[in-house]
Amino acid sequence: MAKQYDVLFRLLLLGDSGVGKTCLLCRFTDNEFHPSHISTIGVDFKMKTLVIDGIKVRIQIWDTAGQERYQTITKQYYRRAQGIFLVYDITSERSFQHIMKWASDVDEYAPDKVQKILVGNKSDDVDKRQVATEQGVKLAKAYGMDFFETSAFTNHNITETFTRLAEQVLAANKKDLDLLRMSINDEFNLAALEEEEGLCDSVVGDQRKGCWC
Amino acid sequence: MKIFSLRLLGLVESAKEYAIFIYTHRRMAITADDVSLEDIVPISLDFAIVEGEQLSYQEEELELRLPFGSHSRLFLNEVIRAWSGRSGLKDIFKSFHDFQLSLLLFRGISSREGRDDLVRSSSHTPSNKAQILTMPQFGLRDNLIKCELLKNEDLYTYLEHFSFFLGTYNVNGQTPKESLHPWLSCTPDPPDVYCVGFQELDLSKEAFFFNDTPKELEWTKAVFEALHPDAKYALVRKLVRLVGIMLIFYVKKEHAEFISEVEAETVGTGIMGRMGNKGAVAIRFRFHNSDICVVNSHLAAHVEEYERRNQDYKDICSRLQFRQLDLTQPPLNIMKHNVVLWLGDLNYRISDLDVDDVKELINKKDFETLHNYDQLKRQIDKEAVFDGFMEGQIHFQPTYKYDTGSDQWDTSEKCRVPAWCDRILWKGQNVQQSFYQSHMALKTSDHKPVSSLLVIGIKRINAEAYKKTFEEIVRNIDKMENECIPSVTLSKREFHFKDIKFMQHQAETLSLLNDGQVPCQFEFIQKPNEPTYCKPWLTANPPKGFLAQGGSVDIDLEVFVNRSTAPELNFGKQQIEDILVLHLERGKDYFISVTGNYLPSCYGTSIQLLCQLREPIQDMPQETLHKLVMSEVGNAVYAEKSLDIPKELWMMVDHLFRSAIKQEDIFQQPGLRSEFAEIRDCLDTGMPDSLPGSNHSVAEALLLFLDALPEPVVPYCFYQQCLESCSNASQCEKIISKLPQCHQNVFRYLAAFLRELLKNSDSNRLDVNILATIFASLLLRSPTKQDLAEKRRTQEFFQHFLTQGSA
Repeated sequence: MAKQYDVLFRLLLLGDSGVGKTCLLCRFTDNEFHPSHISTIGVDFKMKTLVIDGIKVRIQIWDTAGQERYQTITKQYYRRAQGIFLVYDITSERSFQHIMKWASDVDEYAPDKVQKILVGNKSDDVDKRQVATEQGVKLAKAYGMDFFETSAFTNHNITETFTRLAEQVLAANKKDLDLLRMSINDEFNLAALEEEEGLCDSVVGDQRKGCWC
Repeated sequence: MKIFSLRLLGLVESAKEYAIFIYTHRRMAITADDVSLEDIVPISLDFAIVEGEQLSYQEEELELRLPFGSHSRLFLNEVIRAWSGRSGLKDIFKSFHDFQLSLLLFRGISSREGRDDLVRSSSHTPSNKAQILTMPQFGLRDNLIKCELLKNEDLYTYLEHFSFFLGTYNVNGQTPKESLHPWLSCTPDPPDVYCVGFQELDLSKEAFFFNDTPKELEWTKAVFEALHPDAKYALVRKLVRLVGIMLIFYVKKEHAEFISEVEAETVGTGIMGRMGNKGAVAIRFRFHNSDICVVNSHLAAHVEEYERRNQDYKDICSRLQFRQLDLTQPPLNIMKHNVVLWLGDLNYRISDLDVDDVKELINKKDFETLHNYDQLKRQIDKEAVFDGFMEGQIHFQPTYKYDTGSDQWDTSEKCRVPAWCDRILWKGQNVQQSFYQSHMALKTSDHKPVSSLLVIGIKRINAEAYKKTFEEIVRNIDKMENECIPSVTLSKREFHFKDIKFMQHQAETLSLLNDGQVPCQFEFIQKPNEPTYCKPWLTANPPKGFLAQGGSVDIDLEVFVNRSTAPELNFGKQQIEDILVLHLERGKDYFISVTGNYLPSCYGTSIQLLCQLREPIQDMPQETLHKLVMSEVGNAVYAEKSLDIPKELWMMVDHLFRSAIKQEDIFQQPGLRSEFAEIRDCLDTGMPDSLPGSNHSVAEALLLFLDALPEPVVPYCFYQQCLESCSNASQCEKIISKLPQCHQNVFRYLAAFLRELLKNSDSNRLDVNILATIFASLLLRSPTKQDLAEKRRTQEFFQHFLTQGSA
């Protein structure tokens, strides 16, 4: 492989404090889980490389402070995102209610083209469940989003969720990516093109002459 | 240090803008594919052409040496025309040296960035719009991945054997007169790959000088028709030819998709060591995961020239270089391949044996003995040539030289000694030779064609294992990268400042420790809709800096409420509340919250409001204060109950009147900061009979009080009128009488007090000028910036009230 074109996307984790945004990120990037809750006070990020559809997609995942008092500041990070995870905690009705507010902030501050996905985290904690899966499904449907219940603790649906959003972002930017891919092909698919020429030689014996010029 | 290399230049015009485009090129540039844009030098105002040979300017210069001739002159004239059109300068350069033209392109540093952008924007950047970033710096990452993949190749590849048919044929300039079938289709099963080399394809002058020959088509057609009939083949990259040396490369159709990175090159070693009558052509390609190079060479002729042949071999090895698709990578030479297949008319002869003895041995088929007289074998044994190459046992009679059209040895006058000129060698792991033979049936040339079938172990990729290895590598690199994101620990994330007072400095320390794996740059950054990184009453010192790995720094967070921030804080319009965003370059952001409570003070409170406070300001409940502020905006509700002047003002003036009327240098000598704090607390919390501190401290507290008034004693809206009527005493008096009552009271009260002071000027050494200078700037503040002339007029205004008799 020669010079490579990578794509870089910024994805943002949003949701109330304590729903497990940082844990989702740690599980996805480092495959680690830390049960103790340390509030993210600020904006943290990690990198991860995925290969989707033959394209190396590098995603920069931003983990934001969920606490309300920081929200005026965290909002300014929205506009740089191509994809947003709206995360709630299935054991917290309140965090689920707040998704509406998070979603409306996203509408206001994020770019129009931003892709969203709804995530109900802590799916392992069935005993304390306050939000039924159907409620999540219904809300996601109302917003036209995909929906996953995840558990950073058991590593349930983590890769699936991140990959899905990355795919959606990729699809939303498909036009530009096709251009990108065309330019890659221009340079690198010499063998394939020449194979075509060769093929017409060998398949149709009588028309050979035409192919040699 | 100067490095000269060959470039092509172009003068490009677009919308009356000119630029010089600098291209790199490989060999002789013929088509656009041969050149690639390296740099763009815009012909703008900071562009200059300097003639000369001694060149010792800054780094942003390019010295261009143009070849002598009319083309260079024409080009230069055009450049100069374009340039003088831009700069308005004309005829600066009347003559250039005739034998060597040196052209210096000179440009300002500023243009560097823009130019790089130009270069970049001319390549593929379709993604910019959608904020998908093409990141050139990922090149490093890719190299790292490539490197790791190579290192772990064994984990995801396995060997699969493929048959390579290699053929070489010196055709002596003949046209194909017979089918090549006996040569190329001699195997029962169709080979996977064909590499067929010809020499002396065309001996005509046209071929030599113009590298153009109709025989190319004839022979390739002959080859194609003779390929094994039981398989379909795809031609890869047409062919490569240098004069009469040609190499054709076919693979079975089903293998074509696994062939990549195909490159072809030629090297001439003939006349003058460069021409194409001798030399080599080569094709390199990647088959699955193995890199293979096929060389077809025609080395120097004549029995005694074996050392020349050795030299040709070395020249070919050193000069034949394949460019890599990734132009940042150095070119590949022949030996940097997993497998090298070398075929051709190597021209090594049989020496030290009479022609009759040679023919005798041939008749006896004692090729083993004969082989001992073979120059190639001898040179290889001496390690003089083809180091590390293998050749199979020769079980066929020499392939040179026959009478054309027969199997007769050369009957010409020269009666050449038969020789194994045509050979096939290989170098690399996992290569097995199935056969090595000549083909006597072909009689077109004075050589016989030779073929060999090599079964080569090719590294194939196990897709699943590859994916696993790749993902593992990427995961590790991601991990490494995440660990290299700058990171610090903060000693504290929340700061609370308790009981902040007017003009009282409070500080706390925030310690940063760089616990990341890289040095980092930190900075407090602005939040949206805010002019600075923090509220005006807060500062962080230092606000930005650099932290070495493991290093730490103490940042002072300082709170200081002055007259511009006090008014809003006094009545809870603003709180001591801020969030600082500490940003690490290329890293995370940390939020630091700063909270606190501010004790309201008469300092920074309006005259109007103070007149309504009969109690010390800090004894008033916050809500009452808030309500008062609200009502002040509307209409004074407590108007009838209000004081004539603020009691705090009265306390200070009264104190000074009683004890400082004769004080030397009163209002001219500064007080003590600590005493000011006591006086302020006294005014804000109690109603003592006398104030603490020295007279000078009280005097200064008074001045600070006037300075901190949100609306000066002469309100801003009267300022302009005061300036206009400053020379007219009665006009001035008229303006003062129009002030709001409490402001008027304060003004007259202060003026009366100052006149009293002046009566004691013998002791306190004050005069009208001094007092006017001090007080005019406090009582008559400009809503905007004040210049010196305005200042004089405010003093003139106020002097009327210091000199007049009336009270």
